Formats: sequence, C-alpha cells, structure tokens
Amino acid sequence: MDQPIQLRTASPSDDADRAVLVRLAEGELDALEELYDLYKTMAYSIAYRITNDATLAEDVVQEAFLGAWRNAARYVEGRGSVKTWLLAIVHHRAIDAVRRRRPTTELPDVEVPPPATLTLPDVWAEVSAVLDADTVQAALATLSEVQREAIELAYFSGLTQQEIAERTATPLGTVKSRMRLGLLAMRRHLEAGST
Amino acid sequence: MSDRGAVPDLTCDEVRELAGAFVLGALDPREEAAVRAHLASHPDGHDEIAELGGVLPVLAAGVPVVEPPDGLKARIMAAAAEDLATRSTSPAATAAPAQTPTSFPDSEAREARRSRTSTGSWLLRIAAVVAIVALGALNLLLQVQLNAAQSYEEGVAAVIDVAVQPGSLTAILTADGGSGSGLAAVSATGKVTLAMQALTPTTGDQVYEAWVIAGDSAPVPLGNFTVGRAGTAFFEGSGLPTTGSIVLALTLEPGPGATIPTMPIISKGVAKPAAG
Repeated sequence: MDQPIQLRTASPSDDADRAVLVRLAEGELDALEELYDLYKTMAYSIAYRITNDATLAEDVVQEAFLGAWRNAARYVEGRGSVKTWLLAIVHHRAIDAVRRRRPTTELPDVEVPPPATLTLPDVWAEVSAVLDADTVQAALATLSEVQREAIELAYFSGLTQQEIAERTATPLGTVKSRMRLGLLAMRRHLEAGST
Repeated sequence: MSDRGAVPDLTCDEVRELAGAFVLGALDPREEAAVRAHLASHPDGHDEIAELGGVLPVLAAGVPVVEPPDGLKARIMAAAAEDLATRSTSPAATAAPAQTPTSFPDSEAREARRSRTSTGSWLLRIAAVVAIVALGALNLLLQVQLNAAQSYEEGVAAVIDVAVQPGSLTAILTADGGSGSGLAAVSATGKVTLAMQALTPTTGDQVYEAWVIAGDSAPVPLGNFTVGRAGTAFFEGSGLPTTGSIVLALTLEPGPGATIPTMPIISKGVAKPAAG
C-alpha cells in the first residue's frame, strides 16, 4: 500500500481557526461572526453548486453554521482543520437538502452520522497548501469524462452509486470503479505536484 | 430507524471497493452503515478511506465562487442569539446543551422559519425570543422569578427601542468573570441603554458600575446601579463615543464613585452595528 500523505504542520491560520472554535463552544456570538466572515464564500459557493437554488443554498449555509455553533464542542482537534470540518458540514447539509427535494430518494429516519470527511485525518491542510486555480484544474483534468461524471453526480448532485448506475446506464461495479479510480488519480497527481 | 434489514457484514475487499462511493457520500444509508461498522472494527486497516477523502477539498475548491446574499449573516446571528437566549433562560439547557442531530428541515419548516427571520434586525429577533421564553415560563416561575422575567423583558424592550434607531450600536453582554448577561444599545447621540439579568444581588454599599472602553483608552465609568433579589437591572447613561470599537463592561464595586474598575469584569460585550 502507498504511504499516507505526509501531513504538514498546522499553520497559524489553523491555530486561529481552532481558537475561534473554542470560543464558539463557549457560546460567544462574536466567534460565530468571525467564522462566518472567514468562510461564508466557501460555504455559500459549495451550497449553491450543489443545490443550484439560491434560497436553498442560504438555508443550507444557515443550517451549517448553526450546526457548527451548536456542536463546536464536538470538533476533535487532529481529525481535520476547522475548514475541513465546516466544508464537510456544508456538503452534508446540501446533499441532505437536495435528496429531500427528490421524493424518490430513500431517506434515513434520523440524520445519518457525520459524513466520512468529518472523521478523516486532516487532509485539507496539506492539499490546500498547494491549491490554486491551476492546481485544481490540473487535478480535475486527470479525470476521464466518465470518472468526472460519476464523481460529480455523487459529490455535487447527491446521487447514490445505484442512482448513478441507473442514470448513466452503467453497471454498478463500473460506477464504483470510476469513483474510486478517479479519486485515486487526482490524489496521485496532487502527491506528484507536492514533491 | 425503520427496519430496512440488518446491516450486512463486509469484507475488507468489499470496503475497499466501496471506498470511493463512501467518501463521496454515494452509498445508501444501509451500505454506509455497513462500511462504518466495518471501519469501527478495523480502525487501522483502511488508509484508502483517508487517502481518497483527501481529494474532496479539491472538488470543493473547483466550484465557481458565489458570494452569499446580504442579510444571511443577520439571519444566522439571530438564530444563534435565539439559541443562546434559550440556553441562558433554561437551566437544563445550560447544563446539557441540545446535542441531538437534526435532519435538514423540510420546505414547510424552512419557509416558516424564513418568514420569522427574514425581516427586521436580528436584535428584534432576540427581543422576541427573550420575551417569548420569559412569557412561556411564567406559569412555572415563583413570584420573584416572575418579577425578574417581567423586569428584564421590559428592559430589553427599551433597549430595542434604541437599537432600531439609525446609527445605533448594539452589544450582547455575556458573563465574563461572574454571572450576568444582557443587551445594550448605544444611540447615535451617545446614549447607552442596558438591560441585564442573572446578576448577583448587591449587598451593603455594593454597586454595579458600567464602563465604556473605547479602543485602547482606559475604562471610563458611566454610572452605577444596585441589583435586588430578582437579579435584573436596567441602566441608562450618556456621553459615549459613537464611532470606533466600543466595549461595554460591568464590574462589582464596593461602593459608588469608582474611577478604576475592580476586577474581575462581571460581564462585557462589544458594541457594533446591528445589521451586517
């Protein structure tokens, strides 16, 4: 198995974010305001990309920041940057919203546990260190058309792998492979670029 | 959860096959539960989950930038203030903040909430919530608590009257070195109106002194007041600066006439424009 990515040392902004989160957990409204000002554009851009609905995106962002406000104490240092954590909350809320908009989608009776990214090691930190527009585009360009389609239908449209298979008339096993191999290709590209 | 069948046991190979779909959130609930169950019992055996998940920020970074609309911040702050007011009014909530995850609200719930929060400043929302919470608890409070709730409600209403005026600043005072929280508004003419609750009653010659700290300047006393058993207070002062950073603070002094605050600060907050 390949060696895991070498995590970079937490940056001053990471530390500042964590300090804001501590204040958030203590119920300081000013901290919520700071967090919003820092990440409002990231949050809204992702929410809008997923929902394609300005009103729904607003609701998603509101629910996400309120989720952070109420659950700041759950943030586990070392499991990811605050930015990663917030990104995952926004994505999770947005997907939840679009799935509820689709009546045919099976929904859990209660909210499912936090998305996988909430419990992953910090990967945003080291990736974000090299993230500029060219890097992002180059990483996305490593995807084949069918890989990109499968990944975008999952990440941005909230489709399950079964739904993707049906929509694209592709065997389920092929859809699984496209998602896994596509993500793997992007990772390899980023690793090569950071060495 | 409804019965949708038992969560299947997965092999390590099956989890690896599902890793991409898992990190992308593309599994149905039953499949996702199965992967989570497997990972819980094999915590060190699936680095591929973290490796593939690490790519997600790149996907997120590739989306077109769209700025959120004006007013969203005010909605969020109002909702958080509502949450905070509920916590401070409910001892049970303070002891054990609500941690139960909630699903994304359906369209009816969101529309209902939007109609509540899309108009007016978030301070008005705070006032409404405080009033509702106080009023809702009337039947359960002892008389002294009833008086405190009514007194604080009236004080908050007076603060809101000032806060909604053009050019006003508002502050949420939260307990710092002691107990006590409340709201304050500074008018464009430099008049401060303050409503406090949950203060420790003063005894003897003790007074609470209100202070204003403008930028890096030394604290300036605004005036003092005593607090009875209800723990509430209403205070008005004048002569405040109306530009720049202003911090409002309370200290408990052994007697009137303090020119230097006696530490610790009991409660404090930063005054800023209500809208944002």
